[in-house]
Amino acid sequence: MCKYGKGKMVYFFVCFLIVFSGCSQEKTIGIGDSPKKDKKMTLAFPWSPQSLDPHGSDSWEVMRTGTGETLVKLDEDLQVNPWLAKEWTQEDATTWRFKLEENVSFHNGKAMDASSVKNSLLRSIEKDPKVKDLLNIETIEVVSAHELIIVTVQANAALIPHLADPSTMIADVSTIDDENRYPALTGAFSFKQFKKDESLVVERFEDYWGEQALLSEVIIKYIPEGTTRLMSLQSGDVDGATDIPIDNMAVLEKDEKFEVYVTPSLRTHMLMFNMNSPFFKELALRKVVDLNTPREEIVQSIMLNAGTEAKSPFPEVFSFGNVAKLEPSLSSSELLKKAGWKKNEEGIWERQGTIFDVTLFTFPQRPELTVMAEVIQSELLKQGIKVSIRQVENIDEALMNEDWDLSMYSMLTAHTGDPQYFLSMFYQSSSESNISNYESPIVDQKINELNETTDRAKRDQVAIEIQDLIINDVPQSFIVHPKTVFSAKKGVEGFTPHPIEYYYIHSQLDISK
Amino acid sequence: MIRYGLARLLHLFFVIFFVSTFTFLLLRLAPGDPAYILLTKHNVPASEEALIALRAELGLTESLWSQYIHWLKDAILWDWGTSYVSKEPVVKELVYRLPATLELAFAGLLVMFFVTIILGISTAIYSNNCLDLVGRILAIVGSSVPTFWLGFLFIYFFSVQFGWFPSMGRGTLQHLVLPAITLGLGLGMVYARILRTNMLELNNQPFVKAAKMRGISRTRIFIFHIFKHAFLPVLTMLGTSLAFMLAGSVIVETIFSWPGLGKYIIDAINMRDYPVIQGYVVFTSCLFVTVHIIVDFIYIVLDPRLTVR
Repeated sequence: MCKYGKGKMVYFFVCFLIVFSGCSQEKTIGIGDSPKKDKKMTLAFPWSPQSLDPHGSDSWEVMRTGTGETLVKLDEDLQVNPWLAKEWTQEDATTWRFKLEENVSFHNGKAMDASSVKNSLLRSIEKDPKVKDLLNIETIEVVSAHELIIVTVQANAALIPHLADPSTMIADVSTIDDENRYPALTGAFSFKQFKKDESLVVERFEDYWGEQALLSEVIIKYIPEGTTRLMSLQSGDVDGATDIPIDNMAVLEKDEKFEVYVTPSLRTHMLMFNMNSPFFKELALRKVVDLNTPREEIVQSIMLNAGTEAKSPFPEVFSFGNVAKLEPSLSSSELLKKAGWKKNEEGIWERQGTIFDVTLFTFPQRPELTVMAEVIQSELLKQGIKVSIRQVENIDEALMNEDWDLSMYSMLTAHTGDPQYFLSMFYQSSSESNISNYESPIVDQKINELNETTDRAKRDQVAIEIQDLIINDVPQSFIVHPKTVFSAKKGVEGFTPHPIEYYYIHSQLDISK
Repeated sequence: MIRYGLARLLHLFFVIFFVSTFTFLLLRLAPGDPAYILLTKHNVPASEEALIALRAELGLTESLWSQYIHWLKDAILWDWGTSYVSKEPVVKELVYRLPATLELAFAGLLVMFFVTIILGISTAIYSNNCLDLVGRILAIVGSSVPTFWLGFLFIYFFSVQFGWFPSMGRGTLQHLVLPAITLGLGLGMVYARILRTNMLELNNQPFVKAAKMRGISRTRIFIFHIFKHAFLPVLTMLGTSLAFMLAGSVIVETIFSWPGLGKYIIDAINMRDYPVIQGYVVFTSCLFVTVHIIVDFIYIVLDPRLTVR
């Protein structure tokens, strides 16, 4: 009896495993074979969208699947190009007229017209407060089947580049909240099968308005762990992988089976000063820390050269990112002495009984920042400045609610190829996101001027002027613009380096076996 | 027996009630404002107005007591709330990921079970020779090698070098092999050593001596006479190990991109997604207690003397 019971138990375990390994909670809708059963490609991305809603917090990940399109697109030089909107004109400071492409259909076969674009943009504004800030739209008027007029609340010269933000992706809104089907977008690929946290399969959309996709199917595997992503590429489980950890780059470069692509990212790692801190409300002390931030060493030893020294918030890949940094006229000792500081017996700077001893926040989500913090701490100690590093779990919350002097930080500074959003958010004195508590009437005035300037060259000039003012005031020390590393098997074509990380999958992506 | 079963069920109810209450209070005491985290995740300036509106929308402006009663009332009716992040019902989110985690945990348990039995019995039978030495080394290795390292090592050799198994993902039995071995191997090696010690201790018992005198072979005595008694303490540990594996699968799930609950819960904790964390804790405590009840019943099946009080 007892033996029989044990046998049953083992049988139960085996059955359980077989049943569970066979059953997966997949959401499979509308599976249909493509008439051309040809080439497939598998790519590894780090983050899985939690839903395929193109207007939510996952719009970035949805855009990466090659299924969605926005009214405008950024090219490899980050210049704005037409996409679903074929042309546009500015009628006055706040009024823009758009002409749309005419033969575009959504993945459900419905034609894209001005009315569906209006509904899509309105939903995007309603769902994502960031889009509301980016577009600043008052009304959208449908003029004809393929023409619409957008009126902004106030002059918003960055409206066009901001329409490249993935959250403004054009969708047939009637399909988005329907649980029984996938959202109908307009891209070269349509959704075929989505398994949350696991994979997404997209297939060629036969009625695509542009050039037909060369691949019949792209399988996206979501692999959050960097080393596993690398080894999946090496083992042949995937044909290409994005966001390869920098320290793994050398392994792939040595292997002739793979191509390694390194491209500037739009991110900036920086050191922030709290302008309300008893130390850093003083410009001289901010300059001292800035002077002693070893950018070159950080690029070489921490970033392993997969990054460039930062002079300003924006990488040099932008026309408005090419800012000249002035060489300091005074050394850190001279600056400190001029400000009334003296070195004490321990070799630490001191003024009226106050030791130059500050707290530097860092956070675990970007481990390289903590290493940078340690390098900066060591460099400052050599100069006679004490720094205590404190690792906090949620950096944004700590900066908002706690007393701090210095903090490591990292920002994507121009994800739509335009400087306006970041400068307004980070440096305008009235902005809630101005975490350094920076206040400058001239910068405020210049940001307003930027918001109203539509001429590209003039905008770049104003953006550079704002950066010159910021660099002079040092509310942050910009350390490094990291590069993005991705890799693919040889034979993969069209997987091109592009600073905008959401255009990886497109109709001309191909693979030769 | 029925009385015993009812008592254990009551036990289950109390454990779940206290765990959920305690978790609810701890979550609210822990630093971190979900409204702030959600706003900054969306790159939205966290103005005071936006924070107040979002807190009200999430039901965080009510008193702690009222929030708890509200949650408990809904939880009894199997409504564990809605995730702050995905806006999907918590039950749906957990159930979606649960099969993958259970599959991995049971497979890991199975690996552990077989390693324990095979290595434990063989090292007991051939004690103090080469095999025993190997067993001892493996036990040390098993208890000291970190899971993440073992996982990467397996991927490197069996996926990258030999190409025998997929490096990541879920779908077929082949996908399950490497993560299950990574999860179960280390503990199996440690338990094998415990089983061996138990078996050798029982080797001097009178019933074993009697069996030897009857001329039964040493191997047969170890497998059919000693093992049953030596296995009982290991069984308790196996029960606890299932819970350990459910919780400990987080690392293995991350390494092998296994789409289970592990990574989801870590993200929920980082985002202060209270309903998801609360639901997960209640769910795992249910599972933990249930496993212990099942182990107790298996005890009785294996050794009916344990029912005598």
